[in-house]
Amino acid sequence: MHRHKGACWAFDISLVRALIESVSLGNRPVDWVGTLLAGTLIIDANGDAVHLFGAYSGRARMVGQPVGSFWPAEGRNILADLIVGAVAAYARRGARKIRIKSLVLHDPVLIAWMSDSGELADIVFLTIVAEPVDDRSFWALRTSEERYNNLIHHLPFAFLEVDSRAQAEIFDEQRRKGLRDVAAYLDSNPDDIIRARDIVRITDVNRSAVQLFGARDASELLGPVDPLFAASPETARRVMIHHFEGYRSYSEIMKLRTLDGRLLDVSLSVTYPTRPERLDITLIMLEDITDRLRTEAQLRQVQADYTRAARISMLGELASSIAHEVNQPLSAILTNAETSLRWLSRDEPNLEKVAQLTTRISDSAQHAGEIVRRIRGMTTRHVPRSVELDLNEILQEAFLFVRHDIESRSIELSIQLQRDLPRVRGDRVQLQQVIVNLLVNSVQAIQQRAATRGAIELSTNADARGAVTFTIRDDGPGIAEDDIDRVFNSFFTTKEEGVGIGLAICQSIIAAHGGAISAANRPEGGARFWFSLPTSE
Amino acid sequence: MSKLPLIAIVDDDQAMREALFDLLQVEGFSARAFADAASFLAAAAVTEFGCLLTDVRMPGIDGIELQQCLRARCSSMPVIFVTSDEDAVTRTQAMNDGATAYLTKPLANAELVRSLDLALERRPGR
Repeated sequence: MHRHKGACWAFDISLVRALIESVSLGNRPVDWVGTLLAGTLIIDANGDAVHLFGAYSGRARMVGQPVGSFWPAEGRNILADLIVGAVAAYARRGARKIRIKSLVLHDPVLIAWMSDSGELADIVFLTIVAEPVDDRSFWALRTSEERYNNLIHHLPFAFLEVDSRAQAEIFDEQRRKGLRDVAAYLDSNPDDIIRARDIVRITDVNRSAVQLFGARDASELLGPVDPLFAASPETARRVMIHHFEGYRSYSEIMKLRTLDGRLLDVSLSVTYPTRPERLDITLIMLEDITDRLRTEAQLRQVQADYTRAARISMLGELASSIAHEVNQPLSAILTNAETSLRWLSRDEPNLEKVAQLTTRISDSAQHAGEIVRRIRGMTTRHVPRSVELDLNEILQEAFLFVRHDIESRSIELSIQLQRDLPRVRGDRVQLQQVIVNLLVNSVQAIQQRAATRGAIELSTNADARGAVTFTIRDDGPGIAEDDIDRVFNSFFTTKEEGVGIGLAICQSIIAAHGGAISAANRPEGGARFWFSLPTSE
Repeated sequence: MSKLPLIAIVDDDQAMREALFDLLQVEGFSARAFADAASFLAAAAVTEFGCLLTDVRMPGIDGIELQQCLRARCSSMPVIFVTSDEDAVTRTQAMNDGATAYLTKPLANAELVRSLDLALERRPGR
């Protein structure tokens, strides 16, 4: 058969004979073309045929494979018709011929027929007879398509070619009728999304896509795009909105239910066609990121647990300071309660005084409750949450944990907070943790220089570049020059009892908030630590 | 009752300051409260106070320094510490400097009244 001029194939149709006969009788099951081509196996192909449609993998790879895996989308119906026609014509010992239009071939004719040899009962031969329009342009185009096919089929990502022309026409029509707000339109016409998932069709897929979807072969995926959005119907809506609004591409992370029932996290990228490109090809790329997301979630959990462990350890060191904070309101409650009883035990009880004291008891109890709530907030396990925060407020809340420690060491404290500080986004507890850590760090540094009283200055301010900065200065011994670059390293410590995780945790928290933390010595002696966070505006 | 000497209260914690003030009132004492040692020392009538109730840990001048300051001015004003600080070194320092009592919070009112009686040499039950 290689003597034939032009591309030539031999197909084994034994698997789909029943379907072919059924189609011949006028019964056309849904996606019969896809099923037929998936079951029609290539048993031979000549050199031109290999070049024409299968060149990315060579003849050896074509043989034994379903023709559906190679045949271009726009010609699938024609090929299926030819095969059915060839089987029907066999009885008449005839062939089925179709003249087609082509950009690369001059007046091509496709001819399909069956052998009349009994040994070849289930074999359909197909040939394309034509002259290339221009040898050079034909081969240049072929080579370019080969490269494209090679690229697509060996991509490690799932790749789908989708024909969304039917939807594009509907959009054009709606635009002509004056539709502007497509999101609102789809909200009130949800059936349009369901229809789109049916009329937009997958026309070709690569091997990674077959693998990703857990499909038997490519043909199982060809047809309506609906299964792609089964687990993420909202994604279909957003893909449509971006299409209507004329975006070139759209990406998001979505859930994908595979044909074999797995639920995956995939990164979806859609590239919409624009003129003068082929409008029938919308490209969809899918990357399975299930493992990556799971690993990232595990990593975040480990980091959160580690940060919490450091927080609890830090609070342990501050136990006496915290006990003092709780003891204050409790003492006031006891004194006020006993004083109330004294007023009540008088011959003429002073109920006005008792009412006043009872109000104070209630206030102090609430204050004690608030302190306990904050301590609990620092110790309970929580998933970091990003909310809008006032750093001045965070500083004051954090200060509660160390106030007594600072006062009991008679450290002079000055606080300068910039008013109306722009808000930052972050996790309240973690940012409190950073400030408490820096405060404890300064208190401990001052303690190393026992002779003097010590002073700590705290300040906040906003800069013109849209960052909010917290600065703490102490008059301790400062940081050894060699250590300045290492103070934020894990397990770096200059303290005998220290583990060296406090400042490392500060750095990881601030980095996770998109900020930066630094340390330096002050010219007048002592150290300065500061961190900046981007504002939420 | 108003003949009893005036008592000074120095505590930076507002709730505690007010609680002590009311306690003294129900017990028949007159009192003035100060939020920090400096404002107490600045008060013109320091010499008019018969006794000082003070916290230990306070921003600025702390209670120990306040007592030392009074002694430096040759004042023999009785000083009673009311504090959460149970540190033995601080307690010893306070007592060595001439404190009448070193009471730790939370404390029963009766305990404070007993110390005041002692400081003012009042007889119980008066």
